[in-house]
Amino acid sequence: MPVIEVQRQALPILDSPNQGARFYNPDLPSSEPYVPGHRTCAGCGPAIQYRMTSKASGDNTILVGPTGCMYVANSSYLCTPYNVPWAHTQIGSAGSFTAGVAAAYEAMIRKGKWKGTFPNIICEAGDGSASDIGLGSISGALYRNHDCLIICYDNEQYANTGIQASSRTPYGAMTTFSPPGPKVPEAKTLYPKDLARMMAAGHPHCYVATASVGYPIDLMNKVRKGLNHRGAAYLMVYTPCQKGFVYETPRSIDLGRLVVECGLYPIWEWNPEKRAYDYSFRPQSMRPVSDYLKLQGRFGHLHAEHIANLQKFANEQWRMMGVELPEALIRAADAKNQVNMGAAAEAEAVAQTL
Amino acid sequence: MSTKGTHIPDWLTVPFAGITPAPSQEKGQDLFPTGNWRSIRPVYRDKLPPCNNACGTNEKIQGYLDLVKRGKYLDAYALIKEDMPFPSVTGRVCYHPCEQACNRGQYDEAISIRAVERFLGDLGQALARDVVKPGKPNGKKVAVVGSGPAGHSAAYQLARLGYKVTILEKSPKAGGLNRGGIPDWVLPQHVLDREIERLVELGVTIKTNVEVGKDVTWNDLKQNYDACVLAVGLTEPNSVRAEGENKDGVLYGLPFLRDIGMGTSKVRLGARVAVIGGGNTAIDCAREALRQGAVEVTMITVESNPQEMPCVPEDLHDMLEEGVELLHGRAMTAVLGNGRVEALQLYPARFSGAINASPITVNREAPAERFAVDNVIIAVGQHASLTWLPKECKNERGTIKVDRFGRLGDTNFFAAGDIVQLGSGQPLMVVNAVGDGKRVAFNLDKVLRGEPLEPRKVPVDVIMDLNRMNMTYFPHFPRVRQAMLPPVRRRKTQEEVIQPFTEEQAVEEASRCFSCGTCNACDNCYLVCPEPCIVRSARSNGLYKILVNYCKGCRVCIEECPTGCLEGVPELDFDTGVVRMDTAFAISPGLHGRQAQEMLNLGSRPAKEI
Repeated sequence: MPVIEVQRQALPILDSPNQGARFYNPDLPSSEPYVPGHRTCAGCGPAIQYRMTSKASGDNTILVGPTGCMYVANSSYLCTPYNVPWAHTQIGSAGSFTAGVAAAYEAMIRKGKWKGTFPNIICEAGDGSASDIGLGSISGALYRNHDCLIICYDNEQYANTGIQASSRTPYGAMTTFSPPGPKVPEAKTLYPKDLARMMAAGHPHCYVATASVGYPIDLMNKVRKGLNHRGAAYLMVYTPCQKGFVYETPRSIDLGRLVVECGLYPIWEWNPEKRAYDYSFRPQSMRPVSDYLKLQGRFGHLHAEHIANLQKFANEQWRMMGVELPEALIRAADAKNQVNMGAAAEAEAVAQTL
Repeated sequence: MSTKGTHIPDWLTVPFAGITPAPSQEKGQDLFPTGNWRSIRPVYRDKLPPCNNACGTNEKIQGYLDLVKRGKYLDAYALIKEDMPFPSVTGRVCYHPCEQACNRGQYDEAISIRAVERFLGDLGQALARDVVKPGKPNGKKVAVVGSGPAGHSAAYQLARLGYKVTILEKSPKAGGLNRGGIPDWVLPQHVLDREIERLVELGVTIKTNVEVGKDVTWNDLKQNYDACVLAVGLTEPNSVRAEGENKDGVLYGLPFLRDIGMGTSKVRLGARVAVIGGGNTAIDCAREALRQGAVEVTMITVESNPQEMPCVPEDLHDMLEEGVELLHGRAMTAVLGNGRVEALQLYPARFSGAINASPITVNREAPAERFAVDNVIIAVGQHASLTWLPKECKNERGTIKVDRFGRLGDTNFFAAGDIVQLGSGQPLMVVNAVGDGKRVAFNLDKVLRGEPLEPRKVPVDVIMDLNRMNMTYFPHFPRVRQAMLPPVRRRKTQEEVIQPFTEEQAVEEASRCFSCGTCNACDNCYLVCPEPCIVRSARSNGLYKILVNYCKGCRVCIEECPTGCLEGVPELDFDTGVVRMDTAFAISPGLHGRQAQEMLNLGSRPAKEI
């Protein structure tokens, strides 16, 4: 039997003057793989991510959705908002299911049972699936280097079941598993798992990157780079959750920018050819973490020392990216220079003086 | 489950397939019209950018900058020509109130609007045929007295409305103040000639060497024309009431410039020249004096510092660069010399702010200064010469008495430009005269058609403020500077001092525009919508459609709109709005009867309305 060569898609990289911060006018396909009528909350960050991702990948796409809020909210009553093939899998089997789809298409094309180019296979796992329950299966898919893109839409909690802490929940965040109280005033005491670096370090042959919904062009370009990469790719995307973070719905994109500008969510790429991190992405400005925290109800209980702890954490992230820290951010890492979150007006004053 | 690309076994098509139809790109997932969650609706509502508002003739500045940005130069030129008959002239001479009002000025540096206007004007001059066409002839004749900015503008707009326009000009060449008041190194004569050619191409007749009151009488105007626009301007220079002003070597600002402009000047300046006055004409006189051979030019003003001078700061800067000296806080009280100017007598003076008496207080106690000069140019404003006008049409300021529509009582006579605006608080600038001419032309048209006159309404209610825009999307970019002749070279030639923009420069500068309050199709709302219920299939400038059946009212698009065009309107304000339902989980729209029907109807209304 003659062996048929697998035809793959090559998606063009979007032009992005000044990292997506000017006017867009991107050259995107007109078709809409993700259509309105889904039951996510108003201003849902993961839905923004879903839309941008599917828009970037186009019509020849297969989506895999392990259990998570984007499965539950989008596919009740046997009805989904996807205009492309979509399949649900169990929360723990995100990686193995995706690997199976990719392997099946390779085999079908090779045997001549599927005519056409190899589809973009995208797994949209929540951070619960990607960092806790399905970590092993995703690691396996990356290790075996199936040609697929695994996205962790990181809303930093189990939002589907009503806001429980996951291993991606940041230090100090309030969830139903980590309520603040007299014994544990900072709510969550553990720092989040550095999932993307873990994937990059453990699977250096994969394309790994982090992104945020605050930078749409950057996000869509990383999706396309991941899909163009011959082999497995992994993308971790910051997607604010309006219910869990407790913020005003219009701030979804704004939070996506602020978290990067505060250094709590470094944006980088792992280059599998050079086996090196690419830290060239720079937000427009650097801010103290209080600018980000004060917008969210889940951080409303924090004391000065907890904010300083978060600032220390952010400063370490900046240093890891090789960024020279301004004096103001170093000062903000000292609890003496912070005020409790309870006094919102005072917190505002601190933000102004920095 | 989406069925696209999937084989559906027969047993699954009934009954499930009937209940769960596949979503489509056109209709979305119409089982779940999530629009009923919404309490605030995003609405595209274009506001007035501050530049359009500040412009004397309300040019659609944001509009043409946006077109230049997209490379549609001809459309941009056509847009500018709606309000401005000669962009190549104002692109050189305008005092650009738009740039002072520009929101970008509060952020980094204002857009160089005048330079882009000049780029478009020069482009229009190079066209073989103009984009503007005369209106359908309506058989009515209108006379326009004066061919300066106001007269030109009125004649232009009337010709576009279909009138047969005749311009009466007393000078041998048309152009009025554009020709006589503006030196060649700011506005070359051939540029103005070309603009006047354009006016003639529109069907306007220009009769030069015809002076009202001498060659044509008031009654002639009344009998021979259906209506008349008086745009005669201010022709007579003010004196400073100093002793010996009639001596040889004393010149007046505007006649000095006018004679040079008309090519009839016989003046030969000495080495030392003094200019009295601190306005724009005084600055032009001082700079022209250098080019006419003066070596040392001093400007004597009553104002005590450069900031108080009533002039364009850039011109003042350029003048100082060329080497003109400033002498502040002095008033000239006498011209000394034996039949010819030898020196000036100066006293310290200041503005007292008096309204009825002379506004200048001269301190006669202080010792007088003697300032040796060969020539003195007096440029302290002009007044009207209206001996031919019936007395009842004049007012106490010595100008024409008009109502707020520019009309003289109940007659078919109208007046526009400096002759009306002197003392009314309006700046006496080219662009203001153009705007006045335009408005008067439209009012005249209404009167002749028998329509009631109404005060001008601002087309949109809000002037956009910087605070209502999202500055995240605008990185700081420096203003593109126009090249200038070096000061040393300027003193010798009549060449233009300020150089034009190249195409790249014009596009780069136009790209800096914020488009304050106006949709410029940046695709931002389209990209950030989580539903996504913003479609751009029927896309033109500022036309996106929001699928209100689905919009949940999260307001992300409003927050992220860079220009502030999108705004939230409470759902209760819409009379055919969505009535809240108890549940979003509707099996089919039919179950919700009237409410669902209303929502479906919303989708068929035009995008701008929703």
